[in-house]
Amino acid sequence: MILLRLISWPYIRKHALRWLLTIAGIVLGVAVFVGMHTANQSVLYAFRQTVDRIAGSTQLQISSGETGFDENVLDRVQEVREVRVAVPVIEAVVNTGLPGQGNLLILGVDMTGDRGLRQYDLESGDEAVIDDPLVFLAQPDSLIITDTFAKENKLGIGGKVPMSTMEGEKLFTVRGIMQSSGLASAFGGNLAIMDIYAAQKVFGRGRRFDRIDLAVQEGARVEDVKTKLEALLGPGFQVESPSARGQQFESISRIYALTANITSAFALFIGMFIIYNTFQIAVTQRRSEIGILRALGATRRQVRTIFLGESVVAGLLGSSLGLLLGIAIARGMTGYIGALLGEVFGIAQKAEQISTNPALMIFAVVLGVITSVVAAFIPARNAARVDPVQALQKGRYQQLSAGENRVRRITALAVTILAAVCLVLSRYRLLAYAGDALAVLAVLLLTPTLAQWVARALRPLLRWLRPVEGTLATDSLLQAPRRTSGAVAALMLSLALVVALGGLTRASYDSIFKWLGVALNPDLFISPSQSLTARSFRFPGSMAEQLRAIPGVGEVQSVRDSRIQINGAPVIFVAADVQALVQRATLPPTAGDPKQMYRLTGEGKGVLASDNFALLHGYKLGDVLDIPSPRGVLHLPIVGIVVDYSDQQGSILMDRSVYRRYWNDDTVNIFRVYLARGAAEVEVKRRILERFGAERRLFVLTNRDVRQYIVRLTDQWFGITYVQIAVAVLVALLGIVNTLIVSITDRRRELGVLQAVGGLRNQIRGTIWLEALTIGAVGLILGLAFGALQLYYSLRITGEDLAGMRLDYEYPYQICLILVPVILAVAFVSAIGPAESAVRGSLVEALEYE
Amino acid sequence: MIDLAKVSKIFSGKRQVTALEEIDLAIARGEMVAIIGPSGSGKSTLLNLIGGLDTPSSGQIEIDGNRLSGLPDDDLTRMRRDKIGFIFQFFNLLPTLTCFENVAIPLHLRGWQKKKIDERAKELLGMVGLASRIEHLPEELSGGERQRCAIARALSVYPPVLLADEPTGNLDTHTGADILKLIRDLHQRLGSTVLIVTHDPHVAESCERVIALCDGRIVEDREGKNRLLPAAAQPEVR
Amino acid sequence: MSKTLLVAGCWWLVVAAVCAQDARQIVAESQKRGLSRSQQYEGTLEVIGSGNKISLKRWTYERIGSYGSSKAILRFTAPAEVKGVALLIVNHADRASDQWMWTPALERDRRIALQDRSTRFFGTDFSFEDLEERDVNQFDYKLAGEETFDGQPCWKIESKPKEGKSSQYTSSVLMIRKDNYVVIQIENFAKEKLVRRIHYSDVQQQDGIWVGRTTEVLDANRGSRTVLKLEKLKYNLPMQEESFTLEALRRG
Repeated sequence: MILLRLISWPYIRKHALRWLLTIAGIVLGVAVFVGMHTANQSVLYAFRQTVDRIAGSTQLQISSGETGFDENVLDRVQEVREVRVAVPVIEAVVNTGLPGQGNLLILGVDMTGDRGLRQYDLESGDEAVIDDPLVFLAQPDSLIITDTFAKENKLGIGGKVPMSTMEGEKLFTVRGIMQSSGLASAFGGNLAIMDIYAAQKVFGRGRRFDRIDLAVQEGARVEDVKTKLEALLGPGFQVESPSARGQQFESISRIYALTANITSAFALFIGMFIIYNTFQIAVTQRRSEIGILRALGATRRQVRTIFLGESVVAGLLGSSLGLLLGIAIARGMTGYIGALLGEVFGIAQKAEQISTNPALMIFAVVLGVITSVVAAFIPARNAARVDPVQALQKGRYQQLSAGENRVRRITALAVTILAAVCLVLSRYRLLAYAGDALAVLAVLLLTPTLAQWVARALRPLLRWLRPVEGTLATDSLLQAPRRTSGAVAALMLSLALVVALGGLTRASYDSIFKWLGVALNPDLFISPSQSLTARSFRFPGSMAEQLRAIPGVGEVQSVRDSRIQINGAPVIFVAADVQALVQRATLPPTAGDPKQMYRLTGEGKGVLASDNFALLHGYKLGDVLDIPSPRGVLHLPIVGIVVDYSDQQGSILMDRSVYRRYWNDDTVNIFRVYLARGAAEVEVKRRILERFGAERRLFVLTNRDVRQYIVRLTDQWFGITYVQIAVAVLVALLGIVNTLIVSITDRRRELGVLQAVGGLRNQIRGTIWLEALTIGAVGLILGLAFGALQLYYSLRITGEDLAGMRLDYEYPYQICLILVPVILAVAFVSAIGPAESAVRGSLVEALEYE
Repeated sequence: MIDLAKVSKIFSGKRQVTALEEIDLAIARGEMVAIIGPSGSGKSTLLNLIGGLDTPSSGQIEIDGNRLSGLPDDDLTRMRRDKIGFIFQFFNLLPTLTCFENVAIPLHLRGWQKKKIDERAKELLGMVGLASRIEHLPEELSGGERQRCAIARALSVYPPVLLADEPTGNLDTHTGADILKLIRDLHQRLGSTVLIVTHDPHVAESCERVIALCDGRIVEDREGKNRLLPAAAQPEVR
Repeated sequence: MSKTLLVAGCWWLVVAAVCAQDARQIVAESQKRGLSRSQQYEGTLEVIGSGNKISLKRWTYERIGSYGSSKAILRFTAPAEVKGVALLIVNHADRASDQWMWTPALERDRRIALQDRSTRFFGTDFSFEDLEERDVNQFDYKLAGEETFDGQPCWKIESKPKEGKSSQYTSSVLMIRKDNYVVIQIENFAKEKLVRRIHYSDVQQQDGIWVGRTTEVLDANRGSRTVLKLEKLKYNLPMQEESFTLEALRRG
């Protein structure tokens, strides 16, 4: 400790700027880790809280995926002796017509019995409503809102809330206001209670409930009642505690959490290189100090301890700052992620506050410190190996790395061979991952050598460009590979990441567009919600006929989709009239005979599975799926596997007749409408809106609208990955600045001599600029090359394990075209400051240096 | 105290350089010895070998009965820590630490208690006449003061052997004479064995014994001419 | 509200009593005397909340059938926002009643589940259970003494639901006038604690039947009271069974 204070602190103080830049790597890594996870957890927490608060004293919830079930299930449940109280629930998220209010979570309940489970805490209202649900029930436009929502919108008792319902735009009347605690604080207070039968009408649910909430009799065991109800209702129903819904959400947002992990791991990884680099430089610079200490009797261990101690301090400091920054990031991101998850997965939550998790925070700090210590390990070992005799001789550099270079090259070769073996055997998933890791390792080990080669190759070019400055710049790199290799490695890694992500994004877009062209070819889509993923509202099946009667409408296909769980995996099923569908849109098959698969599916003898579903969960053609339905488990074989990107978690396509039979549900989410020959899109759209506008809530989306919508969703999704790119580039830039500052400090004397013998300031500047550009160029060349390999792995791993997409390999040239000028420009910009400091310094001082 | 038997040091590289060739040398406890010779004669190498900073290519070195060859690095360091104090031409003070802290560093390295360190460091600084400079940084000191500080640091554990590499080489003559006097005083008071590598004949002659090296061999081993004169009485050299 | 009170004098009590044959007989006699083929009245209901806030409701009430297996329909006439809301109650001799509610604006009927019977009946101090008729045989009775109440000599009878019969109350204490067998007070307890006190006053004879025309319910926990007054009370009018079905409820 005392040594750390005496030896390290003055050095750190002297090079505070560089230290902070170094720590920035850790700061960013930890910040991204903490930020993304905290945001994710906050969303999860908000969701759980909403679930909890809505659940009240509910002990079990009965649901059937998202499809809902017939009313009569309630009677069967209420007849179970051990059930004290069971009440029906409909939950829906509605966009209110109130400005700036966004979504309102509507809870449809049966007020005559619901207070057995939930405390409404009505604080004001119609005298009658507070105690008496009669008025509330008698008027179907009744709404109970929360105190928060009332205040925000200046609503009082009798106030009107506009909402678009299945019967068109309607005004609802506030008949009660709940105190903002408990139930009323669910969904950020944007919660409203409606009579469940009114909700059935408003949301087009027919005579169906989404869910039954229940509490058991005193003395009955919840587990027993769960078992009994499961037996009673059959496998089409899930009987779970309210908290189990949080787990479901967690499994759905798994991909997101994984993305967050990868991003922060990358930031930390790159940060590690910067720390490694800085420490390596520090060891070189403090060589004589180490020599003195050794001469005075410091053991190797003591020297190593000093440097490791410094790395611990750097790690702690970086992690702490990262923690703060991460929390700030989380604040900014939580709403965005909540909205994204809400939109992509259609799950209601409203995350407003971030919830911090102490375990996560501690883990992040530990992670930061470990990263820092690992990064400093080799430099610290080198410091311990400093030979005091050589260190004390002025002006002599000790080559620390002569032997190490050879060892490194041999290791690199071995690792490369291993990576290649893994590549050959990469059909085993684990080996594919190992191969990627080994490839990264190999390239890192080779970085100094590769950087040398590239710099040497660039030398003639620079020399031709600027004889003096060019030579000096490249020689500086060649003479001190250690100084630059860290920065080059960091830059290379981050550029490789950019290339890989860019390629991945492009490939994903290509696939999605291809699919859009094939699968989503109707002229118009009619949906009860603005988005195609929201499933709060539904149309009656009979509406198809009414649509067909509209002039200009050629063909109408009814589609009902919903999320269910198959063997614990969330999946979207799409129920459509397969025979009609196949006439218009044939999804490209990846397995199975196209003719037969559609025939069998149409006959209800099988289902089509999406390629991503099959890949993610390991299903093959002919496997029999156990699909839970309210009428029992449906055993249907996969008769075909097709490319379909309806959902990230995978989708299955079944015939609507099967759905009607097993779910007893005739409702429709989406009508796919093909125009009659010669009909004008705008005209037909107008007619549909005129026909139904007054009596139904509906949105008519043109093909173009839907494409844009899907592209926007995809954009949002990749928006998260762009954060990775930004982080990577930022960290790499820190590396360049850091390296230049050190390079100039190291060469102060050399630069001084240069000036003394007649070098102009501009020539000095030019040298530094060129050095920066060379580092940038070396990083670019290596990074873009390594990116090609990384892209291959990204496509395999991300494609198969995360999104379940088969993606084509195509190198993203466009991105490179952007990256080259950007990185060179940034390298140049980062050289300005150091270059100025190099020419400003006193010449005499520079010459006396050391 | 110090015994060298057939000690050679060869630097290998592109060109092999024999820095020392089969040196045999014995220095008794309490001797004050000067080592002289032209540049490249192997003076510093000899000092580094004796100080355990470097290891000989062949031959045996014994310090205070401890054989150095074959010792692992940590043991060598411990030997150095306990038996040897170094004084350098360029002082090699840590520029960021105060006088006091510089003197305290070796004691910290030995893991001494803070209180004990304080006492010892103050005692040492008093001994070299820097009691009033305790809180000064090296750059605030004159060259002579810096060397005094370095000497105090070298003496921190009162090592039996004091090795000085051109201790006056970087000082003006007058200050050099002061420092030399200090070393001699300490030598007399503490009874340390002192080895001084020097170019300066006056420094050399004031030692009890003078060893001259040339091309890695001992070419002369004799008594110092002015060794009996108190340092202060020596004629000033200009 | 309604029901209970209406039944007021009569039915509710019921009886059985293995050990206290007397008590069971008294209750049975009380029910017998209140017996009618049908009943009709217009009710006015005032709820006086703990803050002395008063709310008013009106409805019409019709009942057909004998005690314990009767059917009744109650239709709200005021206030305006609940006008047309109706409740159908079908009592069963051997188990709790079935109840349905009709909301005309939604055109939906809904069953009021058994589990909800202990909750308050639409903001009054009655619970849904208080509206049921219960057969004498669903309870055990014990004569707890005789005392003067409201200036009338009364029997004091304790009743408890028989094993397996569900009720929110663990016991009740009835006051039955000796002169005309009218029940003038029921105190309902849950685990020894008073939950509700139902008091009948304004006892008059109508169409040969003695009945308390004013009923006051006290919710002991909330401290609020509900007062029901029966007007245009008639017994034994001719009524059709078909008027007491779900279809009839929906017809309004």
